[in-house]
Amino acid sequence: MDKTLVLGIGNSVLCDDGVGIRVAAEVGKRISDPAITIAEACQGGLFLLEAFLGYDHVVLIDAIQTKGGTPGQVYDLQPENFISALHLSSPHQVDFSTALELGKTLGLPMPSSIDIVAVEAGDVTTFREKFTPEVENAIPVAVEMVMRKCPAHTNYIRED
Amino acid sequence: MTKIMINPITRLEGHGKIAIFLDDDGEVSNAYLQIPELRGFEKFCEGRPAEDMPQIMQRICGVCPEAHHLAATKALDNLFKVEPTSTAKKLRELLYSAFFVTDHATHFYILAGPDFIMGPESPPAERNILGVIGKVGVEIGKKVIQTRQQNHWVIQTIGGRGIHPVFGLPGGVSKMLSEENRVKTEEIALQGVEFARFSLKIFEDLVLKNKEYLDMVLSDTYTHRTYYMGLVDENNKVNFYDGKVRVVDPNGKEFTKYSPSEYLDNLSERVEPWTYLKFPYLKKVGWNGFIDGETSGIYRATPLSRLNAADGMATPLAQEEYEKMYATLGGKPVHHTLATHWARLIELLFAAERMLELSRDPEITGPDIRNIPTETPVEGVGIVEAPRGTLTHHYITDEKGLIKKCNLIVGTTNNYAAMSLTIKKAAQGIIHKGTEITEGLLNRIELAWRAYDPCMGCATHTLPGELPIEISVYDADGTLIDSVKRF
Repeated sequence: MDKTLVLGIGNSVLCDDGVGIRVAAEVGKRISDPAITIAEACQGGLFLLEAFLGYDHVVLIDAIQTKGGTPGQVYDLQPENFISALHLSSPHQVDFSTALELGKTLGLPMPSSIDIVAVEAGDVTTFREKFTPEVENAIPVAVEMVMRKCPAHTNYIRED
Repeated sequence: MTKIMINPITRLEGHGKIAIFLDDDGEVSNAYLQIPELRGFEKFCEGRPAEDMPQIMQRICGVCPEAHHLAATKALDNLFKVEPTSTAKKLRELLYSAFFVTDHATHFYILAGPDFIMGPESPPAERNILGVIGKVGVEIGKKVIQTRQQNHWVIQTIGGRGIHPVFGLPGGVSKMLSEENRVKTEEIALQGVEFARFSLKIFEDLVLKNKEYLDMVLSDTYTHRTYYMGLVDENNKVNFYDGKVRVVDPNGKEFTKYSPSEYLDNLSERVEPWTYLKFPYLKKVGWNGFIDGETSGIYRATPLSRLNAADGMATPLAQEEYEKMYATLGGKPVHHTLATHWARLIELLFAAERMLELSRDPEITGPDIRNIPTETPVEGVGIVEAPRGTLTHHYITDEKGLIKKCNLIVGTTNNYAAMSLTIKKAAQGIIHKGTEITEGLLNRIELAWRAYDPCMGCATHTLPGELPIEISVYDADGTLIDSVKRF
């Protein structure tokens, strides 16, 4: 049985930074399947590498800020989207790429597929437990996108 | 199909900035370090129940939640005037020791290792963990990952969660340790001791036996005479979890030793117009500008500072390494910033040995894990040593235990003034008239700062050790002549 990890990453008290955790939690309300693990993380890099080990498929959900991005925009990404930045010392995505490269180099049991659902954040510097309206409105879109990443398990969606 | 290429900027609004200014002769006249600060956390906590602080406070930081969780828990002990049970104290310290093993091991191999193993001026594309593994072997990389995984298991088992532990309560902890998990923890601790000794051997072989690196460690460019701070036990030995804060002067003589509740009698904070972050300094010495020496209240709180501030290590193997370091570097205190890497590995060994001691303690699986608080809360201070320096949490509540005021001095903040000194002196020692400014040269300045294991922006998801920093060099007219960005 393939194992899937749905991992929300972020800081739940830092405004939009925590959107990944919220989306993962919402997905968790809709899926009940022993083959799918819903989890959260507050760090990138090696922590993600370790979290991925032993899973066949990973859906990572995170906030992102891009140049010229519109808050609330939801992106459907693959690790390759970040490869160009490999080896630079970005605090976020590049560490992710380097961590994946490290996992392969060490021959660790890495997932065969990794999807990334990213939500463009508006505010990631204010300590508050609410999202900006744009990001709050984007949550259902991100949840649906994550659900589609687990097609074999849609039968388990609970009717709310 | 169109391939989307994302051009990410740092997820935080700010990033660290090092600005180096040259004079008319092309020599370094000044250097500034600006650290972004996420403000408003204290305000965020006001009005919330004090009991929530161990859960909320650890979300300040994506790198060391365990440190904030325990500093907050200890502040609650003090706030509710309740002494934790002996077993509870030991369980807290056991979890915390496992955290130090993961954190210090990660720093050495991910952050410090690339500079020393690949060389400080090697191409950035090679100066990273992948380059290190390419050079020292895949097995060491696997060992690093295994050590982290095993100790994260200990943290999860004792703390109740892998990230953001939930076990700290005023007067104790929420969960006992089973005999089965004690046995597994003991085995992990044994492996941790061997891993720490192995890491010290690597340091000896690759750094101490390399004359170029040793000269760099001992050079005046990377040296400052400052005061040193660290938590010590009743025998003045290094302790990460509990004790009094001891400060020694630049000659190694005890300057002050205080209980957590006395921290405001000993520390003040300096405000400078060019940065949001404040500069803590020793109140009884005073602020005399960005200078080192006995007349300057600037102090350091790092692994090396903890060793300088203590009379030794509380475990036998770490004590041997402690003695060896001071014998090699000319006695106490050691003022060479880059020796912090050596001190960090000695602390790694101490943490693993302490884990082993605690996992074998007959009380560690005991059922007496909490004393129930009965007093009305007013004010509490809790201090632990975070990997990056002394961490202080201070809460004032109303009679219902709702937070009226909270104040934090986090690990990296202690060292802000010293890091500024270090960067300026490194720049002055490296950049001279006619010097071609290269990436490798700027890395030699940056590596001095990295020795502090700085943790900027306490809420980033940054892989420990890889920090968003920009170094810019300006000429006497204020024109930007070179810069390096790492984000």
